[in-house]
Amino acid sequence: MNNSETLKVALKAAVEAGNILNEHNKDNLKVSQKESRRDIVTEIDKMSENKIINILKDFNSEITILTEESGIRKGKKENLTWVVDALDGTVNYVNNLPYYGVSIALLENNNPIVGVIFNPVTEELYYGAEGIGVFKNQKRIKVLDKSFEEGLFTVAFSGKNHDPKNRVDEFLKFGEINDNTRGCLRTGSAAINLAYLAEGRFAGCWGKANKSWDISAGILLAKLAGSKVIFTEESEKDHLVSYLAAVPSSWEILYKKIEKVIGL
Amino acid sequence: MKKSLLIYGAGAIGRGFIPWVFDSNEYDFYYVENNFELKEKLNKHKKFISYKTNQDTYEEKVVNIKECFSPGEEKEVIKKITAVITAIGPRNILSLQEILSNTKIPIICCENDSSIPNLLSSVIKNPYVVFAIPDVITSNTAPQKLLEKDPNSIVTENGVCYIDDSVSFLGGEAKYVSKKELENQWLAKLYIHNTPHCIAAYLGSLVGVTYLHEAMQNKLIKKIVANAMNEMVEMLLKKFSMDKEFVKWYSEKELKRFENELLFDPIYRVAREPFRKLAPNERLIGAAQLCLSQGIIPENILLGIMSAFAYNNKIDEDSNITYLINSISSEDFLRIIIDLNPTEALYEILLIEWDKNMKKIEILKNE
Repeated sequence: MNNSETLKVALKAAVEAGNILNEHNKDNLKVSQKESRRDIVTEIDKMSENKIINILKDFNSEITILTEESGIRKGKKENLTWVVDALDGTVNYVNNLPYYGVSIALLENNNPIVGVIFNPVTEELYYGAEGIGVFKNQKRIKVLDKSFEEGLFTVAFSGKNHDPKNRVDEFLKFGEINDNTRGCLRTGSAAINLAYLAEGRFAGCWGKANKSWDISAGILLAKLAGSKVIFTEESEKDHLVSYLAAVPSSWEILYKKIEKVIGL
Repeated sequence: MKKSLLIYGAGAIGRGFIPWVFDSNEYDFYYVENNFELKEKLNKHKKFISYKTNQDTYEEKVVNIKECFSPGEEKEVIKKITAVITAIGPRNILSLQEILSNTKIPIICCENDSSIPNLLSSVIKNPYVVFAIPDVITSNTAPQKLLEKDPNSIVTENGVCYIDDSVSFLGGEAKYVSKKELENQWLAKLYIHNTPHCIAAYLGSLVGVTYLHEAMQNKLIKKIVANAMNEMVEMLLKKFSMDKEFVKWYSEKELKRFENELLFDPIYRVAREPFRKLAPNERLIGAAQLCLSQGIIPENILLGIMSAFAYNNKIDEDSNITYLINSISSEDFLRIIIDLNPTEALYEILLIEWDKNMKKIEILKNE
């Protein structure tokens, strides 16, 4: 199995799932709440996810698939796992904010090697793989190096119930970074944040205890685009990952600021 | 003091053709080239041979050069340059922004995009940036027997360089023309040359040949290319009311050039960067749109567009086209990647003809 074949499958799955999101984005959606008011799911997430799962299974049913809504489907190939978020940014989707996307990554021994992120509203398709490079639609992309002070950053906070005491520190760091740079945004989609970092819009993204399906593809794309990246598993059981991805000139300062907060 | 030229790009046009427009005995030639290996080779010998095809033989010209720089090294020499020539490709033109900023010397853009001079002029604040059309097919290499004599040799055909007449004081063998004439020449070049030329390359790539003249030796390819050219001629006559004799003469000239067996113009050079050629106002999509606007169904250009989609060259800058065409649906590819609106006629007709054209492409691949 080579990366170009798995990349093609991920592209197909992401775009077809994105088309489903587009078909239904004006619907009156039935929203269910999960862990918090911010953590919601719609029937469209599930439709989109099912489409992806079917495409991935048709390609090779021996690869494990981990998705947000359906959990884990174990395959025979133990070292390979698809991690899928059929809709990262559901709150944005439900509120017609065009900042959400489909995120699909293939992990080999827990490291992402193929990644696709698709925003179906803006039709921005980010994709890449080890040995192939990283692209947005037609073009090869790379990060735009900026100093910490000149950079615009994003944060994806941990879940409400994850570590409430530490969350206060996350919020404080957010404020500190926001006040000493061009800004720090909390956008509602970690996947799109990382895609935008790869493209050169953001100078860095950090997150505490995010779901691996939200960030795996983006971490790879950011890395392939020239970002420095570090990530660490917070909880294998809950598939939580903390990470920092930033352009080289911002890395050192940002790392020092957040390493304790996100537990690097 | 001897005049001097600074030529950005030591490739097909810069090295192959410019020495036949401006003489290296009249001008000192300086090059800027980002291919380090080529730069070293040129500096080692400080000369190369450019061959011009003439009937069935080659005319030879030894070109002396003062220096070939890597980008950025030419800072000092710019101060004493008479004129700059660019031949680095439209996608790369803004890489010159910093070094050429605030210069006031003439800059002649031999780029395959008529918007480049205005773009460059506005970013570098130089009012003397002009457009030039090298009406020529030039390889960026030469056949083996010539390379053995000089590894830096390069082949061009006998062409004409049309340059905006505001810089006619530079002399040489160029044809200095008005902006209006330049516009006519550009329309002819873009649609009667560029469109069929790249179609020949993409079709040639499908059948696995190396050089453009080899592609034209394939009867089916030659027929498609000639028909595509006719579609362009018909469009130009209707849309731009161009002179019938001129476009007829131009198209016949072009077909002969594509078939020139002395040129050894590599397919990979003519076909490179398919996404650039598939841009909305460019030689494939733009050309097809213009045909449709004039009530012409450009069947052969549509096939050319499909063959550009099918272009598969791992080392091309746009090699990602292969992942995309082979993964997402045709509708999604046209909408998301080629940026065609589903309400557009071209979108619809490409889809209608998709399977039929894909079959034709498969037939060519299997030849």
